[in-house]
Amino acid sequence: MPGPLSVRTFLWVCLMLGLLAAPGARAQAPSFAAGGLTVCTNPTLPPMTFVNGTDSSDLAGVDIDVSRRLGAYWHVPVSFVSMDFVGLFPSLEAGRCGMVISGVVRQPAREVKFDAVPYQPTSLVVVARAGTAPIAAMADLSGKVLAVQSGTSYAARVAQENVALAAAGRPPIEIQQYPTEDQVVQQVLIGRAFAFVSQDVELAFRQTQLNGKVSVIFQPDYPEFRNFAIYIRKDARDRAALAGAIAALRDSGQMTPILQRWRIIPGGGAQESTARAASGFNWRTFASALVSPAFARGAAITLAMAVLSHLTAIGLAVPMAMVMNGRDGLLKSAIRAYVALFRAAPTLLQLLFVWNALPQFLPVFREAWFTPFLAAWISLSINEAAYQVEINRAALQAIDPGQALAGDALGMTRMQVYRHVIFPQALRIALPSTINEFISLIKTTSLASVISLQELLAVTQINVARTFEFTEYYAAALIYYLLIVFFFLWVQKRIERRFAWADRLKATSHAAA
Amino acid sequence: MPQPDAAPMIEVRNLQKSYGDFAVLRNVSFSVARGEKIVILGPSGSGKSTLIRCFNRIEPHDAGEIVIDGERIDQTTELTRLRCTVGMVFQNYNLFPHLSVLENCALPPRVVKKAGREAAEDLAMNFLHRVNIADQARKYPIQLSGGQQQRVAIARALCMQPSVMLFDEPTAALDPEAVSGVADIMASLSADGMTTLCVTHEMGFARRIADRIIFMDQGRILESAPPEDFFTRPRTDRARDFLSQMIRY
Ligand SMILES: Nc1ncnc2c1ncn2[C@@H]1O[C@H](COP(=O)(O)OP(=O)(O)O)[C@@H](O)[C@H]1O
Ligand SMILES: [Mg+2]
Repeated sequence: MPGPLSVRTFLWVCLMLGLLAAPGARAQAPSFAAGGLTVCTNPTLPPMTFVNGTDSSDLAGVDIDVSRRLGAYWHVPVSFVSMDFVGLFPSLEAGRCGMVISGVVRQPAREVKFDAVPYQPTSLVVVARAGTAPIAAMADLSGKVLAVQSGTSYAARVAQENVALAAAGRPPIEIQQYPTEDQVVQQVLIGRAFAFVSQDVELAFRQTQLNGKVSVIFQPDYPEFRNFAIYIRKDARDRAALAGAIAALRDSGQMTPILQRWRIIPGGGAQESTARAASGFNWRTFASALVSPAFARGAAITLAMAVLSHLTAIGLAVPMAMVMNGRDGLLKSAIRAYVALFRAAPTLLQLLFVWNALPQFLPVFREAWFTPFLAAWISLSINEAAYQVEINRAALQAIDPGQALAGDALGMTRMQVYRHVIFPQALRIALPSTINEFISLIKTTSLASVISLQELLAVTQINVARTFEFTEYYAAALIYYLLIVFFFLWVQKRIERRFAWADRLKATSHAAA
Repeated sequence: MPQPDAAPMIEVRNLQKSYGDFAVLRNVSFSVARGEKIVILGPSGSGKSTLIRCFNRIEPHDAGEIVIDGERIDQTTELTRLRCTVGMVFQNYNLFPHLSVLENCALPPRVVKKAGREAAEDLAMNFLHRVNIADQARKYPIQLSGGQQQRVAIARALCMQPSVMLFDEPTAALDPEAVSGVADIMASLSADGMTTLCVTHEMGFARRIADRIIFMDQGRILESAPPEDFFTRPRTDRARDFLSQMIRY
């Protein structure tokens, strides 16, 4: 919680007095915050928005503090939804949150679809390793590798520079995009990229983590990158209300302590805990990550998501495979179309669709019961079933039709034939490919971070963003993934022991045992 | 020769069946007495398998009448009950490879007749003794020879305690030595009064077990006679041609 209680109480009193003094300017919540302000943020961009500890639900930063002040100003409770950057604007559009505040710069292109209200000035910086000579213009980056965060507007802006470079007959700036800001910085630290693009406020904060390993080599004056903005769905009245609220916070002096706290302007209290990136592998970080509740919880979510989704997928795929091996018909064509569609569409797209597009068609999916876990479970199950149908169909088809015939002739019903004769044999054929699918599904669950599921990789990235000790956290995540995968490979071996009947030699030793 | 009962076990009248335009069975009529052993001979594609598959309704017929043990077989017939009465053995045994010999035999009584596990296994062991293979009860089908597997398949069908047994070329996939073992079992079934219909290409086998030979060609029954008569004095040219070809083998 920001600030001691007394400060808040004081501010409240100020606010109330302000309201009494100016009865015309009542702080009524705008429509996007009616009944509660839900905020979408990608907490990987300190000091604007990040996780300042090992508990990944404990958000911190300028954006978080500003959101809380806005909530207080409007007398509404504030809740945060953290997700991958790519998921922010689709979520806003889908009505999953009232506003996006995530260190996003104000950008005319974004204002076509959303309203933006600036709350903090900033400036773009080009950063390289310490000791790199400053450059005089963006054109000096010609032919060099520049790392930027994907989903941000930096890449598009730099692409404009490339148009000019091409006209001048010079090689373009080579743009590499990475999903999180910390990965962008890493590219420069490890020497793959010459420089990266960031915002000055963020860099100032990073410098303490990086022990001065990087420095600003250029500060391009792009007018469209001068302000961080809060984004809301288009609504002139909401926009005015938000702008009024930000102005009121500033005028009443509430912004200053926030900016001081996060060292954007000098003064205020000491920097809150920020681990420093040590050189060499920090075994203590690694060990504490490994046993931290955050990692264990992330791994449990990953495991539960993969197991539940795959079981559901198998449950869906078995009847579909039975239809696929039957006579032609409408149902069979429908399943064929389903399989084609869901194998063709990227899983990431399907996740974003279920989470963000579905609520636009059916408002019930906007309600609280439709959690990221449920959404990921549904979309991964439906996606996985499309692959599993093919595995199951092939396995069923591989069973000699004489088996079903014998079952029929013995008086078994169709269901008894499947249950006692066909499925046990088909399981043997389907098992290896099914386990392969499952192992790749474990890894696919990491995509669900775009819809704010706090699975293992999301937890890892949030911790890396906080501390910059990426090797240690990646290694800890790897251990968890390895444990999970090896466990299931062991399970596969156990199950396969029961298939000795299919092999004359093994059947003999099995019978002898 | 067993004394046929007054009411026949199987009565077939004007049986017809086609696959699309192709008529597989054309007006087949005959009857089988209780305890009678019929061997069905005929060239490949003449409709022998189709005919016997109509009796347990694995193939539904198009027209005509089948009456088994006094009951008409049609779309209203309860299939489970019919198939408890009429057992079938296939050319390729079709044992369940994932089950032991004992489980192969005990599974059908358990799931179809809802017998308890112990009762079903006792029954299975009993019939495995009958076909002289009880010592292999714990093995999987893959560990057995073809002749052994076919004996297990017979035991499995017998576990349903049927009144009629249908055999579709039960020895066609076997070594000559294995054939006699299966023939012995079928002969012993005869002694117990089981009504059997057997499709085969083994003339010696047919001669040994048959009370009566039915000769089919192109979906019709051309001859129906005791084996001595059929093999020594076939009445039709088609039967004569068929026999001469068989002997050439
Ligand atoms: N499911 C089927 N669809 C179409 N034709 C079939 C089918 N089953 C059998 N036939 C045809 O019916 C004819 C009789 O087959 P079948 O009863 O198996 O003959 P047999 O057992 O005397 O060799 C053959 O010409 C065969 O090709
Ligand atoms: Mg046949």
